[in-house]
Amino acid sequence: MASQWGESVSIDYADLQANGMAVNCLGKWAVLAGRRVMALVDLDDPGEKIYRLTRQSKWDIGCIQWNPHASHAQLFATACTQRLDLYSWDEGTSKQVCSMKAHTRNISDIDWSPFDVNVIASCSVDAYTLLWDVRDPKRPTASFQSVCGASQVKWNKVTNNLFATAHEGEVRIWDPRKPNGPLVYMTAHLSKIHGLDWNPSKELIFATASQDCTVKFWDYLNWRQDKGMLKSGSPVWRARYTPFGDGLVTVVTSTLRRGEYSLFLWNNASLEQPVHQFVGHSDVVLEFQWRKKDDASKDYQLVTWSRDQNLKIWKVDQQLQRLCGHEIADSSENELSGAECSSTVKENGHDHPALSEVDDAKTGNQLDQTSHQQPMTLSQEFSLVNQQIPNVNIEKMDTQQRLCSVSASTGKHVIYLTIYFPTNYPHVAAPNFEIMSQTGLGSGVIKKLYKVLNETSQTCVKRNLNCLEPCIRQFATQFENMTLEERKTPDSDSFTPSTSKLTQSFMQQLPYAQFQDYSIPFPRTCGARFNSAGLLICFGRSKEASNRSEKTPKALSDLAVYSSTNRVRSSQSSSGFSTMFSRSPPTPKAEPVSISSYYIYKRPRTKSRTFRDKPEQKWNSFDKAMKKEKKIFKLEPVKIFDIHCLLNVHRELAENYRLDVDNINGMCEHNMKQAASVGRKDLVRLWSLIPITCSSVLKPSNNPDDGTPWAQQSFGRKMLESLIEYYKKIYDVQTLAMICCIFWDKKVLLSITQSQNMKKSPSKASLDYIPPNYNPYHTVSSMSGLLRSLTKALKEQKQQEPVDDTATIPEASSLSPPVNVTSPTNTSFFYRAMVKIRRTNSLSDFSFEDYKFEETDPKQKAEELERKQHENNCRLLDPSKYGQYDNFLKVYADILYRWGLANQCTEILKHVTLPPEPHAGIEFGVQCYNCRADVRGAKCGTCKMQAFNCVICHIGVRGASNFCLNCGHGGHTLHMKEWFKKEESCPTGCGCQCMKWNPF
Amino acid sequence: MVSVMNSIDTAHEDMIHDAQLDYYGTKLATCSSDRSVKVFDVKGGQQRLVTDLRGHEGPVWQLAWAHPMYGNLIASCGYDRKVIIWKETNGTWGKLYEYSNHDSSVNSVCFAPHELGLVLACGSSDGSVSILSSTGDGSWDAKKIKNAHTIGCNAVSWAPALSPNALFEQSGRPSLVKKLVSGGCDNLVKIWKEEEGEWIEDQKLEGHSDWVRDVAWAPSIGLPKSIIASCSQDCRVIIWTNDGTSNNWSSTVLNKFKDVVWHLSWSITGNILAVSGGDNKVSLWKETLEGQWVCISDVKQGQGQVTEGQSQASRNL
Repeated sequence: MASQWGESVSIDYADLQANGMAVNCLGKWAVLAGRRVMALVDLDDPGEKIYRLTRQSKWDIGCIQWNPHASHAQLFATACTQRLDLYSWDEGTSKQVCSMKAHTRNISDIDWSPFDVNVIASCSVDAYTLLWDVRDPKRPTASFQSVCGASQVKWNKVTNNLFATAHEGEVRIWDPRKPNGPLVYMTAHLSKIHGLDWNPSKELIFATASQDCTVKFWDYLNWRQDKGMLKSGSPVWRARYTPFGDGLVTVVTSTLRRGEYSLFLWNNASLEQPVHQFVGHSDVVLEFQWRKKDDASKDYQLVTWSRDQNLKIWKVDQQLQRLCGHEIADSSENELSGAECSSTVKENGHDHPALSEVDDAKTGNQLDQTSHQQPMTLSQEFSLVNQQIPNVNIEKMDTQQRLCSVSASTGKHVIYLTIYFPTNYPHVAAPNFEIMSQTGLGSGVIKKLYKVLNETSQTCVKRNLNCLEPCIRQFATQFENMTLEERKTPDSDSFTPSTSKLTQSFMQQLPYAQFQDYSIPFPRTCGARFNSAGLLICFGRSKEASNRSEKTPKALSDLAVYSSTNRVRSSQSSSGFSTMFSRSPPTPKAEPVSISSYYIYKRPRTKSRTFRDKPEQKWNSFDKAMKKEKKIFKLEPVKIFDIHCLLNVHRELAENYRLDVDNINGMCEHNMKQAASVGRKDLVRLWSLIPITCSSVLKPSNNPDDGTPWAQQSFGRKMLESLIEYYKKIYDVQTLAMICCIFWDKKVLLSITQSQNMKKSPSKASLDYIPPNYNPYHTVSSMSGLLRSLTKALKEQKQQEPVDDTATIPEASSLSPPVNVTSPTNTSFFYRAMVKIRRTNSLSDFSFEDYKFEETDPKQKAEELERKQHENNCRLLDPSKYGQYDNFLKVYADILYRWGLANQCTEILKHVTLPPEPHAGIEFGVQCYNCRADVRGAKCGTCKMQAFNCVICHIGVRGASNFCLNCGHGGHTLHMKEWFKKEESCPTGCGCQCMKWNPF
Repeated sequence: MVSVMNSIDTAHEDMIHDAQLDYYGTKLATCSSDRSVKVFDVKGGQQRLVTDLRGHEGPVWQLAWAHPMYGNLIASCGYDRKVIIWKETNGTWGKLYEYSNHDSSVNSVCFAPHELGLVLACGSSDGSVSILSSTGDGSWDAKKIKNAHTIGCNAVSWAPALSPNALFEQSGRPSLVKKLVSGGCDNLVKIWKEEEGEWIEDQKLEGHSDWVRDVAWAPSIGLPKSIIASCSQDCRVIIWTNDGTSNNWSSTVLNKFKDVVWHLSWSITGNILAVSGGDNKVSLWKETLEGQWVCISDVKQGQGQVTEGQSQASRNL
């Protein structure tokens, strides 16, 4: 037995396998009904006094209820399949009084009349509701017929001669004296009604709980419009009025979010948020009932029985009763605080749930338990605080000075919190907080923390609850979140912690909301994805779950509806006892509604048909099947298919193709053989064609007047273009790339575009141009931007796989951290490295890039242009489409790279016309040392001197140089290296701590 | 011809909703209703569980791998309204960033082409699309297209960054395309582009008569043509094509299936489309030289067999 917090009791009766429970009207006895045994538990001493009555039945007890009249408190009725049994219980002995049988199908609900000790009503799937007089058990005294079966029957608690039955989404209200038809016949919900309950004090009012995730309140005289609605996150299994105040207790059926097995207590005056949550059960709550120890006691107890086979008794003290609007005429002071309390709760409606549920259900549990308690003294509270809160260290707790100090740490931040408790805490006054931080935490963060702490403590104290632990927890989580946010998103305004806190607390408060799921599409349960190159991943349902005939639902919200209707169908197709009309929520054993369950229901249903004649056995087998299913339910493995054959890009060819533009004949011969080996006859023809096209006889002459070049003939460019067109159509990017490599010479285009650029805007062209020996003197432009881009560049470079770039390696090493002065030459090299990151030989580009700066007079230019035009015409591929050729190459290179063929990839990328996007951001403006003119390059254009002087030897730098990014001073790499071996500050004496300021 | 290379028993406790291989095809990530994301090493036919990532509080719907130049990064999204970016550092996986600024289930995540930087798009049932971009120093900028689709956004997919229009530029560098396509519960497919830092609607494609469940922008091999495939609750798959010269998109219905179609995927060269839906079947489609879409194979789940129909014929070389 586990007795917690004095009043809240939890006892495990795992052996009973009971699915029904009832508490007698005196609150003394609870009966637990299982298939093999009925157990009577003395609730005053639940762990010790338990009597077991063995049953000789194969059937489960569907419903069980004690006689609600104190004079006949020893009687209880059970319903088992079609039969009603009446038992009498006298301290230790029981006897069956009578048995009533008239229903033709399972009884779904029974209810004793609250006005006549001898009358009991029963309703059934057979569409009849019967009234019995227990003194005459042979036949029912009255019968009421409806079209479909009823799931609930409930007597009005205020007036005699009125009861209600629930049929699917409809409610019928009957007068037993008028058996011909209902007084009222109304549609309450569009989905099935699971629970119905009359208001204990108002004659006309009742509440219905439904699958559609709502509880509606009705006045049966004005039944066209509901009197109010409570929106729950999940289908509501039961909603019953509290015996005090104007409250309601609901039990929801579990949804996608597993483990929502709480009971919620609501105040009917404000239905936005529950006022309390009873957390603790680890499975579906099957039944809950109220008891009161004796009339003198003001406290009620909620007795709950769950499928986890735990009986729990929750104390509902006056605090909680007040939250439900229950006013107790007590001492005036108490009265006052009570009224104040309930009003603040209403005001806060939305805020207050944020207080508890800090991080997990466990906390919720703990908080929940504390809230059962009367306020403790400070020393009690101190002794009970959980010392094991992550990241939090409780440093000191002093009851004399009434303070508690706590430190919390996340990452590099450490923060100290001191809480001072006023003497009248926790009754009126909230504690005071003091936050100290030595690690330069922003004042904004601290302010927010104060706010959170104050909110938390206020909400607790308003309910006269202790708040130390909630405060510490809130503090720790918020602190962590904030510093996390500070670390990650310093400037994102949309991320205010208050909103995220709100949504989070909302998420924790309510189970995953089904009524909101109407717009969430039903999830994929199978799929196929092409990934990487030539691989297809398939995942899906197993074979058992795959052969469904019905169409897949549209939205996730359909899931819950589906699973219940599916069960209805199953119950009606077989005579077996159905979950729908049982007294437990419609969730399969230990398996909450989930996507997989949607697919799995079908099987037991079809299977069960064989047991039609023996429903009980069938049900047994259903249970077993479910259990088995759970064990069996194994997912279809994820399969990876090799679909290279479906692509027109061959891996073997990619590996074996040779690319050698200098020896076209040899290359083609080799590649032809390769193509033949994979069975691509078209490629064999192509490779035999290429050497002919490339024959030296057809080489164009340099003179434009020598006649039309071969490329302009029909077997020249035209033929190649039609080939390319064909391979484009069949998406053979491999062949396309090979053609481009052979027939496309990027240098041609560059020279053309450069001459054009020269014409159009020389400055634009020069942007691309950074000579190898380009030396700035002073760095201008924004330093931070420059540093950032450098860091970024470095990072990116590190992330790049090494592609054997001969040029990259030395630069990378020169940029490594120990060398704190970065030379502009290095950066320009580095820049080049970034540009040519995938090329094997970037140096080859220097020649033609330099060449565009040659001065040409207009006449020469024209000649040049003509020559270029001719050269252009001589090309076998249209130079204007170079962008396309580049794309072929890049796509093919990407595929090669995915296959791990880095060498082949690099070979291909050598032929890309345009280097990748130049790295933006690194540009060093230079001021000439002599004439102060802005200079690009090593030599000043105005005074023709070396623009950058070494600060150590005062000689112009031509070669490698390093300079400080902060002060801009620098010089020959060797000199700088030597200087900074020993020194920290700038050699010019400008006061710059070069070593400190430079990140590298 | 088509052969099973590897079969991985994921040991998930509930339905798998997505499975994806990384860039090199050596690591498999799966996500499930059991709230977990698992990463397997599948190199060389083996299967080894690398990590079991827990952090979502509800079913995890979709995954996305980032380009390896940004490291081993996985983005996952789920019912709990969160997007989590997971990163491997020195062999251990951990949470890099968590984005929880959506008000409903996040249904789709997709990393942008690597040329655009480390950028992630997320589509949520709250109707918005978020674009998260890494600033490079560990923080993330979030931009939101609010009310991208009324009722909800179900899928996002990025356009290839290599611009087909670059062909017509004589000089200079081809500008990168920064566009994405999204599909939602308003039965629309929408194309978005970024202009001056703002995401604006570029195109609205109407054709489906029910929720659009998935959209996929076909990878480009450098042709001026853009292709988008979209599938819907109305059981149809539509191929949208744009010739690259105008802003008009023409549509062809690929096929009408028997059950909802919820997933599409293009092969790397963009010539084969994998279609899967509620009937637990996967079919591969290919465009013939005449421009007809034909089914070249059926992969039936639970049997693991691939029947290859016309794949030989359609190669037609």
